[in-house]
Amino acid sequence: MATYMDVNRVQYVAFSGTVAPLSKLYFCRHCLKLRSRDCVSQEVDSYYCSNCLENMPSPDAKLKKNRCANCFDCPSCGHSLSTRATSVAFQDPDNPGKSTPKKVYYLACGFCRWTSRDVGLKDQLIASGGWQEQENPNEKRISELLDYYKHLAQKDQTEREKKKYSRRRSYLHLSEKFGLTSHAIKKRSALMGIGGISIKDDDLSVDIEPSLAIDKVEELPDDVFTKPIVLTDVTTIRQRHANPDFQPTHISQLYPRHKTMLIKRSQRCKECEHNLSKPEFNPSSIKFRIQLVALHHVPEFRIMSLPNLQINKEVQLILTLFNPLDTLTHVALLPSPTDELKWDTAKVVLPTCELVLSPRDDTAEFDDTVDQQQNFKDDPSVVVSRKSNKIGFIVKVTPMIADDDVRISFIMKYDYKNMTPALQTEKKQPEITWLQFPVLVNLGKITG
Amino acid sequence: MPMFDTLAYGGEKTPVVFDIGTAYTKCGFSSECSPRKIVPSTVKKAKTGELVNIYDISDREELYRLLIDFVHLLYFRHVLVPKERRVVIVESVFTPTMFRETLAGVLFKHYEVPSVVFVPAHLMALFTLGIPSGLVMDCGYKQTIVLPVYEGIPVLKACQALPFASKAVHNYLDAQLREHGIVRDSQGEEKPLSSVKDIVDENILEDIKVRCCFVTKLDRAQQIHAVSAGIKDAELPAPPPDVQYPLDGANTLTIPGKIREHTFEILFERDSEEQSVSTLLLDAIIQCPIDIRKTLAENIILIGGTCMSVGFQHRILTELYSLLNSPRYKNRLALKSFKFHHPPSKRNCVAWLGGAIFGIQEILSTRSISRDQYTKNHCMLPDWCSLYDYEESDNHSAILLKKEASKEVLPSVSKSPRSPVVAKKV
Repeated sequence: MATYMDVNRVQYVAFSGTVAPLSKLYFCRHCLKLRSRDCVSQEVDSYYCSNCLENMPSPDAKLKKNRCANCFDCPSCGHSLSTRATSVAFQDPDNPGKSTPKKVYYLACGFCRWTSRDVGLKDQLIASGGWQEQENPNEKRISELLDYYKHLAQKDQTEREKKKYSRRRSYLHLSEKFGLTSHAIKKRSALMGIGGISIKDDDLSVDIEPSLAIDKVEELPDDVFTKPIVLTDVTTIRQRHANPDFQPTHISQLYPRHKTMLIKRSQRCKECEHNLSKPEFNPSSIKFRIQLVALHHVPEFRIMSLPNLQINKEVQLILTLFNPLDTLTHVALLPSPTDELKWDTAKVVLPTCELVLSPRDDTAEFDDTVDQQQNFKDDPSVVVSRKSNKIGFIVKVTPMIADDDVRISFIMKYDYKNMTPALQTEKKQPEITWLQFPVLVNLGKITG
Repeated sequence: MPMFDTLAYGGEKTPVVFDIGTAYTKCGFSSECSPRKIVPSTVKKAKTGELVNIYDISDREELYRLLIDFVHLLYFRHVLVPKERRVVIVESVFTPTMFRETLAGVLFKHYEVPSVVFVPAHLMALFTLGIPSGLVMDCGYKQTIVLPVYEGIPVLKACQALPFASKAVHNYLDAQLREHGIVRDSQGEEKPLSSVKDIVDENILEDIKVRCCFVTKLDRAQQIHAVSAGIKDAELPAPPPDVQYPLDGANTLTIPGKIREHTFEILFERDSEEQSVSTLLLDAIIQCPIDIRKTLAENIILIGGTCMSVGFQHRILTELYSLLNSPRYKNRLALKSFKFHHPPSKRNCVAWLGGAIFGIQEILSTRSISRDQYTKNHCMLPDWCSLYDYEESDNHSAILLKKEASKEVLPSVSKSPRSPVVAKKV
């Protein structure tokens, strides 16, 4: 059972040419092709928080910058924070001698013991928080800049439009003056800013104060030479990067961060744009609404027993073949015509007869009264074992190259009952198509 | 849901902005004040499981595959990008051609983005300030690059670069610690760090640098340099206190105060060509026409993560003034003052923020390369270092030229003519 441990032993060639184990491939039942990661497009399906498993619609997620409204990450170690309740005695303002206990909440990290009290955040009266958000002090300035450049860009755009209509006179065409290079650079957008058009134009209704350069910068504090560093008080670079707006340098500046949402993804065939995999909407469900993975549609090979591989000596190898489909499947093995991948390092003799696989039946496992073996007339020199939807069969292999892995390849051809929804509604007999997929098997090193 | 997106937020969807630095990638949406995430620019190799920096992969096909993984993480783990967003890539002017072409291939072919625009980081820095001209220094992980920008046009002729930045600091720190670092294990036994096998990797070096080291003052640094140059009577200034740095559960590393202070000096030491991080700024100014020099000197912008080191900016400022009086520049530069800008963001995110501001504008559609254009132009990108005329794509000789143009050699080319012609003019 080499392929339970190492899925890369038996690989399939997807339509795009990608080689991957069956468990990493999709099967598009609309184009009837194996699809690998390279020929599916990924999409964001739904947003959810991994801590509270709450679903968030995408406009909300966008507004909240893909962060959960209720859950926080520990700014010190990145673990999820939990809310702790405690009671604090409050002085009653009406009668000073008496104090009433009151429930208050704070955030604490169960992993590194960081609490929101460590950095002087006030305890909250409600469990869900109401924690104040940190605000970027530069937000106003940046939005001014955005407005300003937007305006500038519009101006640039209209000027371009104007230029399109006014005919340029050739002698004013300065771009030729500097030869080919500058001519090309002119056309090359990336290096040019939009500052090229005059910023100081009078008719700019939106104007900003350009940033003022000053001749003072932060000086090195004198006590750096004398004061010993308390290492635990200085944040690490990871703690700083966790909060890009502030990048706190001292642990007293750490602030709980809203937890980043995770997403459920759906995959789509790039060719026919049908969904290949679509998860259920509910974040706590691990099931799929659509799941066209190759494991459910393509018979799977595994290596059952591996004989001693010796150079130039024919050995018998037993492969098992599983039928994942709930229909009777006929499999034929054909030699691969051209070896484009330069995969083969051994000669292989494939069974010439057709291998018949009984349909998959999940209940058959528990039912040991029926012996299905009688129904099939197997050639005992090919099929060595048969149990429910699985057979073991013999392939003869002669390793040819001494100092390399022994690798064989063949083409699997099987009949697939096409049950696309369109056909089902027409109440026709499901169409039977013969599908062919190249299979690559790596048998490992020569043993002796 | 995508339908509601467009209805609720008026037509154009906000583009995504990536600043893929050599050490850290900043990613987020345009028109926001800060990137959503800052993540290491590393990707796991599927076969071996080892983490590699995406700029260290030299094989084009492997890079393509790993960039798919890397962009996948950016898209679906860090930024959560909905479909059909334009992409703004903030890049260094010296990004290897192979890297940007492969990245464009990944975005256009695999992710099928509608358009991509590559913008130079130095130019983007000015967008965060609202000024058209400035002298931008980007001190990041592998290189320090100084590029003057005048009226929105980068002056490439005056571009200066040195392979000294964060990585050089790490290497120096590593060498010093191996020589002088002492590890104390749980039994209280002390032994040199070099006897403990491979316990200090680059992440730990970076952590030590960030938390313990600082850029010292000029007068102290001059004493240090005098000692290392072997001048008689030179004495080291009294070192700052040592730091006990816990390596793992059992071992504690003692970092001598001397190393804390000396580590960053690798950036300010003159190399064999008499260059350091601060001379880059002056050399760039010298390469520029005389009438824009004053403007540049009074609009200096420092960006990149290394500029956030404690004391770095002050050291640059004091060095600039002291260099001005040195014989090397005294007769060539007639500058009186240097002024620094303070961008509205942390310095490692400045280029990203510029890209985010650039990204919201209407001109983005005309400036970027659309997917159609990309396929029509045989998957070629416009680039400053190639003579290939992007809009007239039939020019085959130009295509050949482009293929030969390797950007990696350019920094040294731009460095070598130390331009005596310009010097005479002064």
